[in-house]
Amino acid sequence: MNSFTFKVAKFEIMRQLKKPAFWAATLLIPLLMGGIYFISFISSQNVDQNPALDENTKVAITDDAGVFSNQAPFIINGDKEYGKEMVTKGEVDLYFYIPKDFLETKKAEFYHISEGLEMFNFDANILKSLMAQDAATRVAPSDILALNGQFEIEDNKLAKDGSNSNALGKAIIPFFIGILFFMFICLCGNRFLLCVVEEKENRISEMILTAVSPKHLIVGKIIAMLVLGMIQILAITIPVVLLVFANRDNQMISQILAMIEVDPVAITLSILLFIVSSIFYAGACTFVGSLVSTAKDASSFIGPAIIAMVLPLYCMQMFMMTEPNFVVQFFTYFPLSAPVALMLRQGFGTITTLEYCIGLAVVFVAAVVMIRLAVVTFQKNAINFGTVSLKIGRRKK
Amino acid sequence: MKNIVDVKHFQMKFGDKEVIKDLSFDVKKGEIFGLLGANGSGKTTTIRALLGFYRPTAGEVLVDGKVYNPENSSVRIGYLPEERGLYRKETVLDTMVYFGELNGLKDSAEWSKKYLKRVGLEDKINERIEKLSGGQQQKVQLGITIMGDPQLLILDEPTKGFDPMNRRLLMEIIEEHHKKGAAIIMITHYMDEVEKLCDRALLLKDGVARAYGSISEIKKEFKNKSLEQIFVDVYGGENE
Repeated sequence: MNSFTFKVAKFEIMRQLKKPAFWAATLLIPLLMGGIYFISFISSQNVDQNPALDENTKVAITDDAGVFSNQAPFIINGDKEYGKEMVTKGEVDLYFYIPKDFLETKKAEFYHISEGLEMFNFDANILKSLMAQDAATRVAPSDILALNGQFEIEDNKLAKDGSNSNALGKAIIPFFIGILFFMFICLCGNRFLLCVVEEKENRISEMILTAVSPKHLIVGKIIAMLVLGMIQILAITIPVVLLVFANRDNQMISQILAMIEVDPVAITLSILLFIVSSIFYAGACTFVGSLVSTAKDASSFIGPAIIAMVLPLYCMQMFMMTEPNFVVQFFTYFPLSAPVALMLRQGFGTITTLEYCIGLAVVFVAAVVMIRLAVVTFQKNAINFGTVSLKIGRRKK
Repeated sequence: MKNIVDVKHFQMKFGDKEVIKDLSFDVKKGEIFGLLGANGSGKTTTIRALLGFYRPTAGEVLVDGKVYNPENSSVRIGYLPEERGLYRKETVLDTMVYFGELNGLKDSAEWSKKYLKRVGLEDKINERIEKLSGGQQQKVQLGITIMGDPQLLILDEPTKGFDPMNRRLLMEIIEEHHKKGAAIIMITHYMDEVEKLCDRALLLKDGVARAYGSISEIKKEFKNKSLEQIFVDVYGGENE
């Protein structure tokens, strides 16, 4: 890093870290998220954990343990493989396999077709519900009561070809990175816009440009803002990770952790996209900041800037489609919406690695262009203190 | 004496407006040079071109024989602009240290403390800039301008808004730097300051030099009138 860039970055980072407002904003986000989680947790306490079976849902059970009575309509004679085949052929929606040693191991298996990113549902609890309803169980009712619903059901999502599918597990980490990016733009957008306005608003531009070139000033500021954003993201992420680790025995958390599938390619691409998108967003906001003269002017841009970035979230349904339509394609390759669009499509598994790399390249080129525009614009407008707009020639090197 | 600044047939246009028509002058190393003219005559534009903020429409504006670039210039410039400001939320020391570091000053914290003590601001070191009075802020700005002993000082209306105490302090500092061998370009409307301090001067009107040379040469050209009278004559009694 050029020494001037480093000096600018160091100054900008240190001055922000000293501000109580920086830490207040950083801590406010996890508090808000914690609050939302608490509310949803309280609400979930009232949700029926043993829902009634939908009348259109076709269920089959292989009961090697003899838990159910023979009269139960969903009991089949076939083995586990036969049951799985019924699922992949679409003959049944849900298939449960109860092994012979079920009462000892307290473990059953559950098979269904993966529809993509279905979040946790209570389909697995249907078995418990069916058991409770089946009054004429062959085993002693006391054994069933002893189980008290405390048995495990291994949730197996199947692809249409019969192989195991873990779309959600694969998408957890990319989606988590996507959420971090969303938090990043919410936390840093305003700061990016204002970071170059301050020099103009406080009449510092001329003094500072006597000592440092606009290029190194802008790049130093962008680096500082990115570092500060990362500090905030880490300040939010570390407690969350620690909290998850501390509660890893919690049923829901352990289920999620068990489900996570580490796909190195997807994770690497997600991290690359996060970095490139952050630089692009920083460049775009700095460019806008260098166009305006005051913080007041700049603040009116932050709303539209964030909306443009998160627009794909408003039509999320379209991103779930395997065959992307024109709107999805446009959002995928339009630099402003590309970061969120790519994150969504990767999460839903509706993008190929090649398409993803093209989108990534588009965002990278756009980031370089934005930074260049920010430097040139700042150079031209740095000594325009909001009253006169001068048309100035390019500076000779 | 070698020139530190060379302006050759400098022309500057903003759209259709020609701010500087054809200006040529030089500033020698170690001299105090007065750049004079009414508001809008092109003084600040000339300085901004000198600092590389503007690219001349025609001609050359050179510092030590080259277009000025702060990061690789053989000459360090200290510039006190007419439009002045500081990072309002930062402390006095942090601000000075930042500018010192940008200017390549190794012991900028030590230098700043000594300077602040000299100008009576030692108790304001850790105060935020916004808490300082206007006069105190001017002292900080002046400190930033002169830190690291620049070879060229450009002071755009340096005494504007200064109380007599600060004005005297500024004069002392200008003298000190002059003695150290720095060249100083002073833009001012106070002709008494020019007569007292400057070796040579240039009087600009409508982007053209109306008088240029040593103070005695200019006076001789205008029948030994005072600089103030010369200024009034050139501008024909225009109301500034």
